[in-house]
Amino acid sequence: MTTPRVGTAAALAALTLLTATACSGGGAASEDMHVWMYQDTLVVVQEGAVERFNEDQGADGTTAVIDQVPGDNYVERLRTAMGSAQKPDVFFNWGAGSIAPYAEQGLLEPLDDHLAQNPELAEAFLPSVLESGKVDGVQYGIPLRGTQPVVLFYNRAVFDEVGAEPPQTWDDLLSLVDEFTEADVTPFALAGADPWTEQMWLQYLVDRIGGPEVFARIAGGDSEGWRDPAILQAAETVADLVDRGAFGDSYASVSYTEGGASTLLSEGRAAMHLMGSWEYSTHLDQAPEFAENDLGYVTFPPLPDGAGDPANIVGNPTNYFSVTAEGPHLEHALEFLAYTAQDEYVADMVANGEVPTTTGAEDVLADSPDPEFAVFQYELVRDAPHFQLSWDQALTPEIATPMVTEIEALFNGQSTPEEFVDAVAAL
Amino acid sequence: MRSVVDERTPASGRRTAPPPRRPGTAGRVRHRGVGERPNLLGGLGALAWLAVVVLPLYALVIATFQRGENYVPEGPLAPPSDPTLGNYATAVDKGLLGFIGNTALVTVGVVALVVVLAATTSFAVVRSRTRLTDTAFRMFLLGLAIPAQAVIIPVYVIIVRLELYDTLAAIVLPTAAFALPVCVLILVGSMRDISEELYEAMALDGAGPVRTFWRLVVPMSRSGLGTVAVYSALQAWNGFLFPLILTQSSDRRVITMGLYEFQGEYRVDVPGLLTAVVLSTVPLFLVYLVARRSLADGLMGVGGK
Amino acid sequence: MSAPARSRAAPRTGRPGPLWALPGALFFGVFAVLPMLLVAYLSFTHWNGLGTPAFAGLDNWTRLAGDPLMHRAAGLSLLLTVSSWAIQTPISLLLGVWSAGRQRGRAFLSAVFFLPLLLSSAAVAIVWRALLDPNFGPLAWAGPALGLGSLDPLGSGGSAFWVIVAVAAWQFIPLHMLLYQGGARQIPATLYQAARIDGAGRLGMFWHITLPQLRNTITTSSVLMVVGSLTYFDTVLIMTDGGPGTDTTIVPYLMFRAGFRSWELGYAGAIAFTLVVVATLIALVMVRLTGFGSMRSTREGL
Repeated sequence: MTTPRVGTAAALAALTLLTATACSGGGAASEDMHVWMYQDTLVVVQEGAVERFNEDQGADGTTAVIDQVPGDNYVERLRTAMGSAQKPDVFFNWGAGSIAPYAEQGLLEPLDDHLAQNPELAEAFLPSVLESGKVDGVQYGIPLRGTQPVVLFYNRAVFDEVGAEPPQTWDDLLSLVDEFTEADVTPFALAGADPWTEQMWLQYLVDRIGGPEVFARIAGGDSEGWRDPAILQAAETVADLVDRGAFGDSYASVSYTEGGASTLLSEGRAAMHLMGSWEYSTHLDQAPEFAENDLGYVTFPPLPDGAGDPANIVGNPTNYFSVTAEGPHLEHALEFLAYTAQDEYVADMVANGEVPTTTGAEDVLADSPDPEFAVFQYELVRDAPHFQLSWDQALTPEIATPMVTEIEALFNGQSTPEEFVDAVAAL
Repeated sequence: MRSVVDERTPASGRRTAPPPRRPGTAGRVRHRGVGERPNLLGGLGALAWLAVVVLPLYALVIATFQRGENYVPEGPLAPPSDPTLGNYATAVDKGLLGFIGNTALVTVGVVALVVVLAATTSFAVVRSRTRLTDTAFRMFLLGLAIPAQAVIIPVYVIIVRLELYDTLAAIVLPTAAFALPVCVLILVGSMRDISEELYEAMALDGAGPVRTFWRLVVPMSRSGLGTVAVYSALQAWNGFLFPLILTQSSDRRVITMGLYEFQGEYRVDVPGLLTAVVLSTVPLFLVYLVARRSLADGLMGVGGK
Repeated sequence: MSAPARSRAAPRTGRPGPLWALPGALFFGVFAVLPMLLVAYLSFTHWNGLGTPAFAGLDNWTRLAGDPLMHRAAGLSLLLTVSSWAIQTPISLLLGVWSAGRQRGRAFLSAVFFLPLLLSSAAVAIVWRALLDPNFGPLAWAGPALGLGSLDPLGSGGSAFWVIVAVAAWQFIPLHMLLYQGGARQIPATLYQAARIDGAGRLGMFWHITLPQLRNTITTSSVLMVVGSLTYFDTVLIMTDGGPGTDTTIVPYLMFRAGFRSWELGYAGAIAFTLVVVATLIALVMVRLTGFGSMRSTREGL
């Protein structure tokens, strides 16, 4: 009796396995070289690079493909894939802090030798920007995008209607809040469902009030740095803005990645929007007429008695490409990096409204769809004594994740400024 | 635990089960007289719920024919002044059909695995009655309430070790495993209802376990198997967390992921997003039209029939 | 008369060996039991998902015990469970019993009531989120039209949680209604006939016949609701991302956040193991309560 039973069980087990493998849908790693990009409207530039790369490779060579990963999930997807055998060959990141865990595990290819052998690539980028692609002095990232300072965008048409001028000082800004509220226009669009947009406000406020040293201390690992009076004052300023209705009533569920906040600005339902310079490209793609005619921009105004230099900026110096160590396409991946310094690539960036971080970018800015905005950004970055990387990228994820939640709670009025300080200092 | 396995519910005095009823036969009895005065209150309540169910669905469907720019100005309930099929064309362009195809593959895989494994396991649990099968059954019982979220991290580790990360099998295997306890429970229930006399008759014919399984157990548990198939298919079709963590590339994207990511891509185009939702529901809706009875009976079976 | 005694008396021929249970048990073992053990192990380590986990002793557990966020999440999960039960049970029971009638209108309405079941959780969450968008959804039109100004139910802490509860009810009441419909149809008509002869009214029959006869269905459905609320995750992720702030951060979402946002997989393991323990306890209680182990032979006694 035993044998047939065993036989049946074995047959069933085999059937089970067969079903399982039949469903794997040819899961074997494909031969393509995978380039991971954060999904947004700027990807067209990298698509051009991949196209040129594939042309140069010819029919027999490696084919590069871009995997566009939706922004909401980019960091998680990257981490899960990096922990598996299906790592991307080349991937988009924010430099320094964002790639440190991978670098520590030896998952990234050090690029120093490659740069030494290809000095023209090393020299193609502004040294200060290349610097942020290093972890512990080793180069792991090559700049792939334009510089992305955060500036205050505004809708010119709405300003004209109300007869207002963009703010030069903090008092200007506060009186604009009242003016627009009266005119039934939300003064500032704010994507409260994506707390990193709220973080931009706090970053600027802290920098204007206390200068870059305040956050530098926190980033250095001293959580008592959150107790700096500048943090509390910045948080109080946020609470004050919220109370004045600077962001309207319904911002908490507005999303940035889904385009909510940007659309409020372009449709004239909000007057201003504090956002990274990529906002320009977003509008160019989503609302081209608005981008060309009515999109204005100014720097973040200084605060009364603030210790920070009003020329300081926050944002992302740029984004980087890193190469996975020991990947099957390592050589081609390294080759691919050079495409980010090509003239065509730089021209694509400029045409898309970005300000490249390559040396000599100044000369091509005239080709930008809005040369004025390009030069504005370029000079802003060039003349800034300090360019603060986004806090959530500068800190490790186990601190950054709860921190942005605390920022969100502060903006939603769920915690007082004092509670906010206590909460982040406890992280 | 043995006592648990053998415990009777207070309601059941007799052990020998009547032959399993076909779905629906029990209900054919009209236990509310036709001539009874109408249940006004019940009718009103049902109408209220009808509004709760239908209004959002109406808003959902009507929006898919609306142009993005007209959506807010015209309001969600007015029929579009300028109807369009453009939203559907866009959704198809964005690869939605491919996602549905992937989901169908996953669903077939899960249902096949679950039906085979649950049927053989339940057969052993009901008829073998050794300590081993009792232990197995106990394990399934305790697994009944284990949330898939709780084990997603180790499942990710195991899938990576098996080199299945970013394959459809990575979704199929854990989804099937987590559907198993409920399905084993359902099938053990329907197999217990097969009367001892029938088993004995098979035994007298000299039938071995395989023949008993195919000739008696499978035909007699048809409604239980139907329930199991419906239940596991819905689990697979609706699965979210496993695909979220265990796959990433767009050609392995299942429909729930597709929708989740469309939400990011579609930006503020609410009609476009809702069109994707409607399209994602079409396959199940077609099944429902064709096999409403079996689907409903199958789900009723989850509650114990 | 006990079952094992009968089994021993019956002939062994045609009985399957325990090996028949092996594929199923092995499969469940690898993809469900082993992960549970691994979760327990992980909860005693620090691990960021790359490299190897480092032993951490009780660090994660002491942190879990003192984490206000965890306390809050546990409270929210409990509130979600209780309120979901309290809202869904009466509605689905009444609707289920009502729709068990065989009148044509009722059959048609039950067919319509079934429709939400065809939508996945992801779809349900997306639909409701779109319908509740304060700027680009119906509310942007309804608010001003009704003179209520701007409405943002997902934007404020208190209402966002109740939106989640309401969406869960909308999504799951059809399923439970179906369970009650099935249960009610199995109540023998003779019971009602007898009661009617005794002059019982509709309410009396509902109270004295329908409810007691449905008690097994009530248990099953309640258990499904409790388990469902414990694992409610997709909807929270899509609709609120645990926010605003942490006002909808229930335990499964907190675990997801600790694991896949902060990459503290050891700490996430501790949260997850807590969930496993609670779920197992619920499973035990459920097996006792329902006599599930005895294989729902409920109708046999009728």
